[in-house]
Amino acid sequence: MSQNSDINAWKELATKQLRGKPLEALDKNTTEGIKTKPLYTAEDLEKIEFLNALPGFEPFVRGPMATMYAGRPWTIRQYAGFSTAKESNAFYRKNLAAGQKGLSVAFDLATHRGYDSDHPRVTGDVGKAGVAIDSVEDMKILFDQIPLDKMSVSMTMNGAVLPILAGYIVAAEEQGVSQEKLRGTIQNDILKEYLTRNTYIYPPVQSMRIVSDIIGYCSENMPLFNTVSISGYHMMEAGADSVLQTAFTLADGLEYVKTAIDAGLDIDKFAPRLSFFFGIGMDFFMNIAMLRAARFLWSELMDQFNPENPKSKMLRTHCQTSGWSLTLQDPYNNIIRTTLECMSAVLGGTQSLHTNSFDEAVGLPTETSARVARNTQIVVQEETNICNVVDPLAGSYYVETLTQNIIDEVRKIFKEIEDLGGMAKAIETGMPKMRIEEVAAKRQARIDQGKDVIVGVNKYQLENEPPLDVLEVSDEIRTEQIERLTQIKKDRDSKAVKKALDDLTKAAETNGNLLAASIVAVRARATVGEVSDAMEKVFGRFVATTQCISGVYAAECGDSEILASLRKRTEDFEKKTGRRPRILLTKMGQDGHDSGVKVIASSYADFGFDVDISPMFQTPEEAAKMAVENDVHVVGVSSLAAGHKTLVPGLVAALKKEGAEDIKVVVGGIIPPKDYDELRKAGAVEIFGPGTVVTDSANKTLNAIGA
Amino acid sequence: MDYKEPDFYIKGVLEGKRRIIAKAITLVESSLPGHRALASKVIDGIISHSGNSVRLGITGVPGVGKSTFIENLGLDLADEGHKVAVLAVDPSSKRSGGSILGDKTRMEKLAAHENAFIRPSPSGATLGGVASKTREIMLICEAAGYDVVLVETVGVGQSEISVATMVDFFLVLMIAGAGDELQGIKKGVLEVADAIAINKADGDNAERAEKARHEFALAMHFLSPVSPSWNPPVLKCSSVIEKGTMKVWETVLEHRKKMKQTGEFDEKRRSQALEWMWTLVYEGLKLRFNENRRIAEKIPEITAKVEREVISPTAAAGELLSCF
Repeated sequence: MSQNSDINAWKELATKQLRGKPLEALDKNTTEGIKTKPLYTAEDLEKIEFLNALPGFEPFVRGPMATMYAGRPWTIRQYAGFSTAKESNAFYRKNLAAGQKGLSVAFDLATHRGYDSDHPRVTGDVGKAGVAIDSVEDMKILFDQIPLDKMSVSMTMNGAVLPILAGYIVAAEEQGVSQEKLRGTIQNDILKEYLTRNTYIYPPVQSMRIVSDIIGYCSENMPLFNTVSISGYHMMEAGADSVLQTAFTLADGLEYVKTAIDAGLDIDKFAPRLSFFFGIGMDFFMNIAMLRAARFLWSELMDQFNPENPKSKMLRTHCQTSGWSLTLQDPYNNIIRTTLECMSAVLGGTQSLHTNSFDEAVGLPTETSARVARNTQIVVQEETNICNVVDPLAGSYYVETLTQNIIDEVRKIFKEIEDLGGMAKAIETGMPKMRIEEVAAKRQARIDQGKDVIVGVNKYQLENEPPLDVLEVSDEIRTEQIERLTQIKKDRDSKAVKKALDDLTKAAETNGNLLAASIVAVRARATVGEVSDAMEKVFGRFVATTQCISGVYAAECGDSEILASLRKRTEDFEKKTGRRPRILLTKMGQDGHDSGVKVIASSYADFGFDVDISPMFQTPEEAAKMAVENDVHVVGVSSLAAGHKTLVPGLVAALKKEGAEDIKVVVGGIIPPKDYDELRKAGAVEIFGPGTVVTDSANKTLNAIGA
Repeated sequence: MDYKEPDFYIKGVLEGKRRIIAKAITLVESSLPGHRALASKVIDGIISHSGNSVRLGITGVPGVGKSTFIENLGLDLADEGHKVAVLAVDPSSKRSGGSILGDKTRMEKLAAHENAFIRPSPSGATLGGVASKTREIMLICEAAGYDVVLVETVGVGQSEISVATMVDFFLVLMIAGAGDELQGIKKGVLEVADAIAINKADGDNAERAEKARHEFALAMHFLSPVSPSWNPPVLKCSSVIEKGTMKVWETVLEHRKKMKQTGEFDEKRRSQALEWMWTLVYEGLKLRFNENRRIAEKIPEITAKVEREVISPTAAAGELLSCF
């Protein structure tokens, strides 16, 4: 057998087969700005910094554990929360029986933002995107008959992290489980909330103190508990590519480490309990390389603190497949997407994984879709033999190079962040948020033009979409929660509650440990809202400033015909009516996912609209007041968290009350198709589900206002 | 809703109906000649009810915290029972003509306040410039019962000088430690300022703010004040501390009292009105000049001559003007 290792011979052959096209035509630029070649060879390995690394050893590029899945497969951990504590509890118990090893709690947005279910700002949010928790009584129902000393519990909570963590601790205590036995993770990653999801309560400085208090308390009392899960997932969902996700996530992590060290903690006492959470998208090899690069970079970053315990330098991560990559159109394709992303996460060496349900782009998962999602992992784990070998892609010319490429790119961003004075400062300048939104707008423009293919959306579309079952959350849940709240407030010792809450306020004013004080208050049956308010008195509630990019969508489109025709329409509209079409984009309720609405704002401005953006977390009445004062032609409601059925009719009614029934309402976001009729009846003139081409939506919006 | 009768608007504005106020403002902003004619009748109808507010212009470079300042001050005033109107001018994109008007995101609570009315306007390709529109919008708000009008403008272009000519008090916001002393603010802007306030004078920043205040106070000595009876003070303020902007408001009221005593207040309003008239005359002249057919026919020939250096620009301008 002869072997030809002459690269020039290959180039010659390849050029011949390309029939005259230059070889460089096969080079591609990824979203990250990394250039890939059609072929990688042994020569590329010469630039790799970690070629002889072994799993379980620094720099951990091949995995944090020595035997990885060969020793024990990753943990299948499905994130779920079903409206009420009781339903969620039943769901968890069923899943545990079906082979799931840990459980992961999703909370509703009212809880995230520290509001009780009876608060007037949360009428559309209770029980919608997860379980509603108002007090420790709800927590006890949530964990009923689940042995908290054995079961690892992961809680996605960042805003109201104190009352929730305290609630979990007290629920365990009343189950007879003491704190040192508790194992699990609380997300507690507040920095990324200011970047993407906006489920914060207090300003950054005070929030960082809360993080530090939790790390401090847990390192003393809950040694098995992971105190921060540093999350890039939401950044990716908001549009970040692999480089941005890695850079900003690790930079957030570094900021927590510095905060804890400033608070006097020993690096080896808390760093081993930090865990990470990455989002995995469709770029198959890129995502594998991302996880490997992230482990390398974290180990490198932690080096400066001279930890003695190697675990302090070890990046352990949970992953979730991308919800953004899922489509409303031909939704069964989503099972395939999720499977591929699952493979990426596993080949990248994740420690635990959540696989999304195929109906995620339509609404909340049903029992069937949740089962398919879980089985996706079980099939990969138990039917494919993938688990048998550690880091099977190590040594791949391509994957190793890609890993190195990501490392190089991320280091550049680290430098930028450092120049700005660290991640907290960088966030203040708005730099990371703008970067993410820029990529999101670019990507949307590429998809709208068909440059990036999404099957069923901009290619191979289905003629007729079959209807899909989605989970319905009834508004009665709010009534039930309010009843239980009233009961608790009646039964408890109100003097003890008041004292505990006053003490908490005092702790906020001084330097008392806030988690310790919260536990006392929660034990006395103070509610989530009351605990949050007690600190709000001192800390205030944070109001985000919105910066918005413009020109990105247009730049990516170039001189496209569709852009020109839209600009002509808005110009003609001005000639006809004396001003440009004016749209108010609003997010009502506690849903803080604002990157979608930013992409719309930025692109509509590029089309020639005058775009007003409302503050986050509005009530329908506030949105209507703003629409009236700005005299907009149309209000665009963005809804990604199931509040639309309460909030859209609320907005229409509020507009009517102001005498502005001529202001049109359009709705965009995650809206199940079966709700379309109801929303139309309520007064929405257009509904734009996931996968809507932005230029189409703009044309339809113009039609709706008579342009 | 598209009513043709001025009385409909006049009545609605005087009754303080939010919807009609907004619609009247839209008329003023409109680029259609028909709307402008109607708007002018509406303004005539309400002007005798206007003039009763404290007119405060606020400028500063992006990032100085204008909107947060307005949120803080506006809320305190609205809570005291004042009716507060906020007018903000946002730059439009030259390419697309569209704009993003994000200001209310930073005035979350004020925007929701019953006593507040906030209207950001795209600067757009408006005829007559930003200033004349904002001025008329201000009159509408006053007639509708708003007794405080805050006009916000980005301090990087032409607009801030024209805002200074329509308000009673012109405030320039600055921040400490932003590097360059004057932070991109033109000297001309400081010359028309009635006060400078160093914003974000709180927390870790307090000390630097005091230092900056001192430096600015020294610098202001070299400028001649707008009024003989008022030396523009350099203040500190904070939009995150409770009542952190009230000192500025007290200064505004003090200025008002003094100006009224000396008679400069009425004098300023009178001269502003005249200045406004002349601005409109000049703009009207420009418009008519551009619309003049004889001139339009002559332009290609004359510009060609100038380009080929056959005649001097001065002679060319004279020739064009002589056709008018």
